[in-house]
Amino acid sequence: MMRSRSWEKVFFTILGAPAAICLTVFFWITSVLLTGIGTIRLNLLTTSALQGGLFEMIVGTAYLLLGAAGVAGPVGVFAAIHLTEYARHGRLIRVIDQAINNLAGMPSILIGLFGYAFFCRQLGLGISLASGWLTLALMMLPIVIRGTEEAIKMVPYNFKEAALALGASKWETVKSVTVPSAAPGIITSILLGMARVAGETAAILFTSCVLVTRGLPKSPFEPVMALAFNLFVKIVALGESPDKVFGIALILFLLVISFASVGIALRIYYRRKQPWLR
Amino acid sequence: MSHNKCASPNFLKSFDKPVEKLMFLCALSSIVFLFLMLLFITREGMQALFTFGADFIIGPVWETNSNLYGALPLIYGSLMVVAVALAVAVPIGVATAMFVEEVLPFSIRDLVKSLIELLASIPSIIYGFIGVLFLAPQIASLFGLSSGTVALTASLVLAIMTIPTIVSVSGETIAAVPKEYKEAALALGATKWQTLKNVVVPTAKSGILASVMLGFGRAIGETVAVLMVAGNVAVIPTPPWNILSPVYTLTAAIAMQMGEAAVGTLEYSALFGLGLILFIITLVVNSLADIIAKKGIKGEKGL
Amino acid sequence: MAEVDIRKLNVWFKDNHVLKDLTLTIEENAVTAIMGPSGCGKSTLLRAINRMNETIDGCRTTGEIYIDGQNIYNGNTDVYELRRRVGMVFQKPNPLPKSIFENVAFGVKIHKLADGKKLNEIVERSLKEAVLWDEVKDRLHESAFSLSGGQQQRLCIARALAVNPEIILLDEPCSALDPIATQKIETLMRKLAEKYTVIIVTHNVQQAARVSDYVAFLYLGKLIEYGPTKQVFESPKHELTERYITGEFG
Repeated sequence: MMRSRSWEKVFFTILGAPAAICLTVFFWITSVLLTGIGTIRLNLLTTSALQGGLFEMIVGTAYLLLGAAGVAGPVGVFAAIHLTEYARHGRLIRVIDQAINNLAGMPSILIGLFGYAFFCRQLGLGISLASGWLTLALMMLPIVIRGTEEAIKMVPYNFKEAALALGASKWETVKSVTVPSAAPGIITSILLGMARVAGETAAILFTSCVLVTRGLPKSPFEPVMALAFNLFVKIVALGESPDKVFGIALILFLLVISFASVGIALRIYYRRKQPWLR
Repeated sequence: MSHNKCASPNFLKSFDKPVEKLMFLCALSSIVFLFLMLLFITREGMQALFTFGADFIIGPVWETNSNLYGALPLIYGSLMVVAVALAVAVPIGVATAMFVEEVLPFSIRDLVKSLIELLASIPSIIYGFIGVLFLAPQIASLFGLSSGTVALTASLVLAIMTIPTIVSVSGETIAAVPKEYKEAALALGATKWQTLKNVVVPTAKSGILASVMLGFGRAIGETVAVLMVAGNVAVIPTPPWNILSPVYTLTAAIAMQMGEAAVGTLEYSALFGLGLILFIITLVVNSLADIIAKKGIKGEKGL
Repeated sequence: MAEVDIRKLNVWFKDNHVLKDLTLTIEENAVTAIMGPSGCGKSTLLRAINRMNETIDGCRTTGEIYIDGQNIYNGNTDVYELRRRVGMVFQKPNPLPKSIFENVAFGVKIHKLADGKKLNEIVERSLKEAVLWDEVKDRLHESAFSLSGGQQQRLCIARALAVNPEIILLDEPCSALDPIATQKIETLMRKLAEKYTVIIVTHNVQQAARVSDYVAFLYLGKLIEYGPTKQVFESPKHELTERYITGEFG
């Protein structure tokens, strides 16, 4: 008896080691990047790229993110509502389900390649903010759909029944009961989607970014600067030494991690504690 | 006899039908775009496929200067880097999943899972950056190489990036193993470890396999991090298992060369050809993962 | 108020024939109790009257239900208007995740019956009718979940009353409540019968005896007996009814 117990301890310790490795790697990366904090001066954030600042990259990244969320948010939420509330289970739904999984697993470089061939060339949008929105939206879509589906499925059926019994139509029920109840989960899924694309490089590599622009884009049909793209080009194509771009890397890291942490924290919070289960 | 939906039109409810149609269109968007992806990538890649035929896949020379595009070294490079990455990531990922779901106390489980998820959300450009800055020099000095940007470095970076996928997907299936199974084993006097080994893992094995497939899909499509540390030489290493030589991957070639390739040239088309190869690999691998995962669920019900 | 005339009603869920050839006329301005052992189809019967059955996949209905002489199962009935006229209260109190005020106002807004000051009046009137006003008047904008179970159920009744229904359906409204809350709801039901046609499903024989004027006994999807409560309880015509009332099965 004692023997098997002590063996168990050994096994579990061995099992715990990989988990420890994962966490160590995460904290190591974080600490490495944080050592670069000394290279950031606050005025860099508001200085134009023409004077060696980061202003257009930061605002450009924000433009890309907000626009992509503006496309993928509504489309994803509507799609999820259809799949959970309207669709009858059948062959078509299985195919859609499979397609969402496949889209979620598509490498971003392929989405970028497609974005170039379709949005930039076929639709004539060129290398532009708009092409970037659509391309990144395609990457966000599966995350928003899956997250919204989960949130909607957690809305108790008796809420919907209450509205239906009062004579609300299906859409009124969805609009005034289901979606508001699922709202925290929906917002979380959009945040997680934004985290996924905020640091994305391959998808915007040839669809929407250039190294330097004069000021911010004035319309969605102009190219844009972005943190990830700049970091990539400066290291890979221009061969600048990594310590020169530490600032960009750190800001990008902090941006993505803050989106992701807020999203993950909210998700855990609402999974554990739905207001109506009090 | 009456059926559903026999309401007369009512002006208050006139929004219902158009909104329903709109939602259906949104739901279709994933299929439509997946199909358009296949269509457009194929269309742009046609020229290269027709010019080289089977040689596009099995041709051993990828040279822009002589306009020769045989993707074999790139396919090999991708597979090699991913294989080594999975060899590292699968044991670590599965062990982590078991540890997190079965051993860790509930109170800190969410925290650890969240940190691993954060690891997954770090952009690949950051992984590449860290790889170039720290890992590559380490590898170079460890093995006495002149440059540390070799297959092994790429594999290690990829492994770190793949672990979270494996942890979360296999963790989900481990968590989904019915409590009754575990209780049955524990009630018979099995230890926690025996229960894990004899009940939990066998029940969750298809989910674990699916997580490996998804990890493979994620790894083979990874672009930026890999190209920053893989060395990017389009030659099959000698000997082929030499993980200390530089390699070029499918994704790296697309990302590196798209910028220079003029539309309509053979190079441009060849890059889309690579895209098509990658598309098909990913589609097959992801679909297999789906099938395996669903089969696993059915199998469990039948137990 | 309105009379509910049910003719040859049949309901299936997929292949399961739940209600078989039901015919009965429910009197207006009275409390009618539908009782029977669980699984006999009493909830299904109730939900046929406001066509809530069709929100469940695989449901099929034949036959007719006339409310004030109009067949609600003919092709040009507006289900949404029907559900306004036929209010429903569920087994488990199901307030919406909104404030007390917004819960009562919900149906009024959906049907665009009133807004502004008039809406406030309707909310107040409905809460008074449901005997909840005095308990909540100072906290109308708090979450409905801050109420006790019994209060929540009365809130749901107020919500149903706010849209001017003629018929109120109650599906085992007390099964999740304690005896004191149950008593309040029962008193309320008697009061409601002065103005509305009240139909209640219950598996509690004593409750049926206490609150109803008429009682219908269902068994395995068939109507076994229907008549004035006093008559059914004192001299049941059918042996099954007698055995059920005396608690021999259930």
